[in-house]
Amino acid sequence: MSIKTLTMTAIVALGTSAAFAEEVRVYNWSDYIDEDLLKKFEEETGLTLIYDVFDSNEVLETKMLAGGSGYDVVVPSGTFLQRQIQAGAFQELDAAKLSNSGNLWDVIQERTAGYDPDNAYSINYMWGTTGIGVNVAKVKEALGDDVALNSMDLVLKPENMEKLASCGVHFLDAPSEIIPMVLQYIGEDPDSHDKDVIGKTEEVLLGVRPHIQKFHSSEYINALANGDICVAVGWSGDILQARDRAAEADNGVEIEYHPFAEGSLMWFDQMAIPADAPNPEGAHQFLNFILDANNMAAASNYVYYANGNKASQEFLEEDVIGDPAIYPNDATMQNLYITTPYPAKTQRTVTRLWTKIKSGT
Amino acid sequence: MNTTVFAPWEDPQAKPLIQFQNVTKRFGGFTAIDNLSLDIFEKEFFALLGPSGCGKTTMMRMLAGFEKPSDGHIMLGGQDIDPIPPNKRAVNMMFQSYALFPHLSIWENIAFGLRRDNMPKRDLEDRVEEMLRLTRLEQFARRKPHQISGGQRQRVALARSLAKAPKLLLLDEPLGALDKKLRQDTQFELMDIQEKTGTTFVIVTHDQEEAMTVASRVAVMDQGKLMQVATPDRIYENPNSVYVADFIGDVNIIEGRATANGDETYQVDWAEGQSPLTATSSTGFTNGQSCHLAIRPEKVTISADRPADAINAVQGKVHDIAYLGNLSTYHVELANGTIIKAQSANTRRISRRSFTWEDPVWLSWTATAAVLLAN
Amino acid sequence: MGRPGLAVMDGHGCGFAGELMRRALLIAIPYVWLLALFLVPFFIVLKISLSDVELAIPPYTPTLDLSQGWAGITDFFSQLDFENFVWLTEDDLYWKAYLSSVKIALISTVLTLLVGYPIAYGMARAPTEWRPTLMMLVILPFWTSFLIRVYAWMGILSNEGYLNQILLWLGIISTPLTILNTNTAVYIGIVYTYLPFMILPIYSSLERMDESLIEAAEDLGCSRLKAFWLVTIPLSRPGIIAGCFLVMIPVIGEFVIPSLLGGSGTLMIGKVLWEEFFSNRDWPVASAVAVVLLLILVIPIVLFQRNQQKQTEAGQ
Repeated sequence: MSIKTLTMTAIVALGTSAAFAEEVRVYNWSDYIDEDLLKKFEEETGLTLIYDVFDSNEVLETKMLAGGSGYDVVVPSGTFLQRQIQAGAFQELDAAKLSNSGNLWDVIQERTAGYDPDNAYSINYMWGTTGIGVNVAKVKEALGDDVALNSMDLVLKPENMEKLASCGVHFLDAPSEIIPMVLQYIGEDPDSHDKDVIGKTEEVLLGVRPHIQKFHSSEYINALANGDICVAVGWSGDILQARDRAAEADNGVEIEYHPFAEGSLMWFDQMAIPADAPNPEGAHQFLNFILDANNMAAASNYVYYANGNKASQEFLEEDVIGDPAIYPNDATMQNLYITTPYPAKTQRTVTRLWTKIKSGT
Repeated sequence: MNTTVFAPWEDPQAKPLIQFQNVTKRFGGFTAIDNLSLDIFEKEFFALLGPSGCGKTTMMRMLAGFEKPSDGHIMLGGQDIDPIPPNKRAVNMMFQSYALFPHLSIWENIAFGLRRDNMPKRDLEDRVEEMLRLTRLEQFARRKPHQISGGQRQRVALARSLAKAPKLLLLDEPLGALDKKLRQDTQFELMDIQEKTGTTFVIVTHDQEEAMTVASRVAVMDQGKLMQVATPDRIYENPNSVYVADFIGDVNIIEGRATANGDETYQVDWAEGQSPLTATSSTGFTNGQSCHLAIRPEKVTISADRPADAINAVQGKVHDIAYLGNLSTYHVELANGTIIKAQSANTRRISRRSFTWEDPVWLSWTATAAVLLAN
Repeated sequence: MGRPGLAVMDGHGCGFAGELMRRALLIAIPYVWLLALFLVPFFIVLKISLSDVELAIPPYTPTLDLSQGWAGITDFFSQLDFENFVWLTEDDLYWKAYLSSVKIALISTVLTLLVGYPIAYGMARAPTEWRPTLMMLVILPFWTSFLIRVYAWMGILSNEGYLNQILLWLGIISTPLTILNTNTAVYIGIVYTYLPFMILPIYSSLERMDESLIEAAEDLGCSRLKAFWLVTIPLSRPGIIAGCFLVMIPVIGEFVIPSLLGGSGTLMIGKVLWEEFFSNRDWPVASAVAVVLLLILVIPIVLFQRNQQKQTEAGQ
C-alpha cells in the first residue's frame, strides 16, 4: 500500500464521519408513509434519512421517557404527546425553520391545541377516527342483510357478538380508545376521568368479551384482509388498508370502514422533536418537507388517512378526499369526540380494568 | 465304588432338557446358525466354545428368547418355546456386561425378578437373603452397583439370574471382564454354585481353558455349525478334526499320507528325507489317504540323544524357547524347516536347564500320543 | 522444590508474586462477568423497584444526585421504600398472573415431555449412522430466527391457515377451527419452540444406556412396556429432570409466544410486566414484578443445579 492510497483512505474515512453528522433519524408508525417520499427527501436535502417504525404509542413513550432515544423526529398520538410534553420530552419548534407551516388546516389545529397548547411542540401528520371494519358478506350472513354496519350495537350487544364470534372479532388493544367508545355508547362523557364512570364500561365489555377473539392493535389489518376475522374495531386508515389489500389479492373478501353512527373518537398523530434530538436542524428540515402540500398529499394518497394540511387537499385523489370514511362529512365531523390523557392514578385503574376485561382477572 | 458318573448323554433313556432340532438362524443374507441339532441335559454345565462370530451368542439369545429361529425348533422340557417371549420363559441369563440396574441397590437388583412374580414379601426377602449368602454379598446389599468391585458385580449378576430358580441359566462370557486370578477363583465358585443349586447351566465363552475347567460337556462351534460335542477330556485328547485340535490348546499338526501298518496302526509318510511316523487310530484310513497327525506338545519328549526305544523320533535344533514358569515350550526346527513344539516341566532351576538355543536335540513320542485325523 | 514444572517457571523469571497475580486474575474474570452482567443490572432493577413513579425523564424518583455529596446519597436512600412490593400483594392480579404463568409452564413442560421423550427415545434407538443427522434435524430450527418461526405458526394456525385448509380439504372438519389466539396455540408454540431443550438432555441420557439392561429386565419377567417403565424411565430421569427445568424456567417468564399466538385472555407474568412498564409507565411497579419473578425462578434454578451436581457425582 502506497502513502497515497493511505491518505485517500483517511479522507474517505473523514468524509464518512462528516456524513454521519448529517443524518436524520425518524421514528414513525409502521405502514405510515409512501416510501418514495423518503428518497425524495434525501435527494432534496442531501441528508441521510434513517427511518424506523413502531406499532404502539406505549413503545414510543417508553423510549421517550427513558431518554437518549437518538431520534430526531417521532410521531406520538395526541394524548401521549400531551403527557410527554409535561415530562419534558420535546423541544419547542422553531417557526422560522418551518416555512410551509401556513399550509396547516385551522380546523385540525384548533383541536390539536387541546393536547399541545398553541401547537408549540408539534405539527399534525395524520388524523383519523376509531371505528369499525367489517367483512360485509360474512357479517350479513351472520346477522341478516339489513344489519346496520356502522352501529356500536354490532360489537357491544352480546346477542350480535355471539353470532359474530365464530367468524372472528378483534378489538384494538388500546384502553384509551375502547373505554371512551363504550362511555359514548352508554351515554356518558367519553372523556370522563372519573373512576366510577369508567367502571361502568366493565359490565358492557365483559358481556361481549367471550366473543372477542383478540385485543391487538395491528394484527387485524392482515386478519381482515385474509378473511380470518369478520369484524375489527380499529383505526380508519388501517382498515382501509385492509380493504385495499383484500381488493388487490382478489380473494373475494370485501371490507368496509365506518365511523360509528353513535360518534367516533377522533385522534391525531403529531410529529415532534425530542428534547435531546441529535440533529434538530435536520428534524426541522424533515418537518418542513412533510408540511409541503404535495408531499403531504402523496402520503395521504398512499396510506388513506386524512391529514391536517389544508393546502394538500387539492392534490388528494378523489378516492381519498371524496371518501367519507377518510374525510367525514360535516355531520359526522360534528359527532366526533376527542379525549385527554388520564392522570397516573386513573391510568392505573384503566389498565387494571383492561387487564380484567382481557384476562378475566 | 458305587458313585455313578454323571453322563446322561450316554444314556439313551435320558430325556434332554433342551433340544435344538435342525435350527437355522439367518440375519438378512448371513447364516449365523446352520441347520444345527443339539441336546443338553438337566443339571449339565454345558459350554459353547468358539471364536467370535461362530454363532454361540446367537444360540444363547435364542434360548433366552431374544431371537427366534428362522427354521427348526427349540424345545425346553419337551415344549416348543419358539412362541414364548423372554419374560415368560423359565430361563434366566447372566449378561456379559452384567446389565445390573444402576438405579437400584444390590438388594433390589436381586429382588427385581422375584417382584415380577408377585412373590409374597416374606418369601421374597428370604430368597434375596439366601442369594446374598450364596454369593457372599451380604454386606453389600444396600450399595449401588457403581459402589462395588468388578468381581462383586459379577456375583450380583449371578445372584440376580439365579434368584428365580430358573430351569436353565445362561451365562454369556460371565468371567470375561475379570482379571486372570479372579477368573480362576470364580470358575470354581461357579461350579460350586451350579452343583449346590442343581441348575442347568449353559455358558458361552471364547476362552477354551475356562470351558474345559467348568463344563461337563463342551460344544466347539465354527461358522454356525457344531464341530464337536464331548466332555473336556475327549475334546482335548480325541479331537475329531484339525479345527478342534487346533482350537483347543497347543498342538503340532503334521500333514502326510497314511498307510496301514497292522491292527489300527498306520504309518505316515510326511516329508522327503524324514523317516515315516507311526500312529494308532480307531478310524480307518485307506492306503495313501492324506491325513493330519495332531500331537500335543506335552506329549513330545525332548532329549539330547535319540531315545533307544522311541517309535517316533525326529532330530532338529532348538529354535526358540518360551518360558512359562512351570513349563517351557521348545520350538524345534527340523532339517526340512518344519517347527515342532515340545513341552517339558521345569523341575530344575533355570541355570541348570539342559537345552539352550541352537542345541541339537531329539524329539520323540509314542504311537498313541498322536491323533490321526482325516482332515 | 520437587516439581520440575515450577522450577521451569521460576527459570523464566515468573516469580511467586506473578503467579499469584495471574491466578487472582483467572479467578476474577468469572466474578467480574457475574458482577457486570447479573448483579449490576439486578441492583439497578431493585433500586427502581424501591422508587416512586413520576412523570419525568426517567419516569421515577429519586435519582442519585452525586453533586450534593454525602447529603445527596442519604437523601436518596431515605426516599426508597417497599411500597411497590406491598402493592403487589394488594391486587390479586399479580399472584394470579404468577400462578397462571407457573401453570402454563407446568402444562407446557408436561406436553413438551410427552412429545419430546418419544423423539429422544427414537433417536437413541436409531442406527448409529443416522444419529448425527437426526441430531441435526433437532437443532436445525435454531438456525432461523425464533420470531420468524413463531410468525410461521401464525400462518399455519389462523382460521384461513394451512392447518385449517388441509383439515377442510380432507373433510375432517366443515368449519375452520379457531386455534390461533387461544391457549392451544400458546401451548403449540411453546412445545415447538422448547422441544429441542427437552429432547437433547433426554437423548443424551438414553444414548448412554446399555441396551442389555432392557433385555435383562425382560429376561427377569418384564413385558416390554414394564421394562420401559421400570428401567428406561428411571435411567433417563436425570435427562428428564434437566429437560423439564430447561423448558419450565424460561417459559414462566415467556412473553413473545403468548403475545403473538395467544388470545388476549392468556394471563402471564411477562405480559403483566409489559403492561406495567408500557401501559402504566410505572417502572417501579414493573421492576418490583421483575424482582419477584426472579426470586420465583431462583427456586427451580437451585433445584436444577442440584440435579446436575448429583448427576456429575453419579457419573464419577
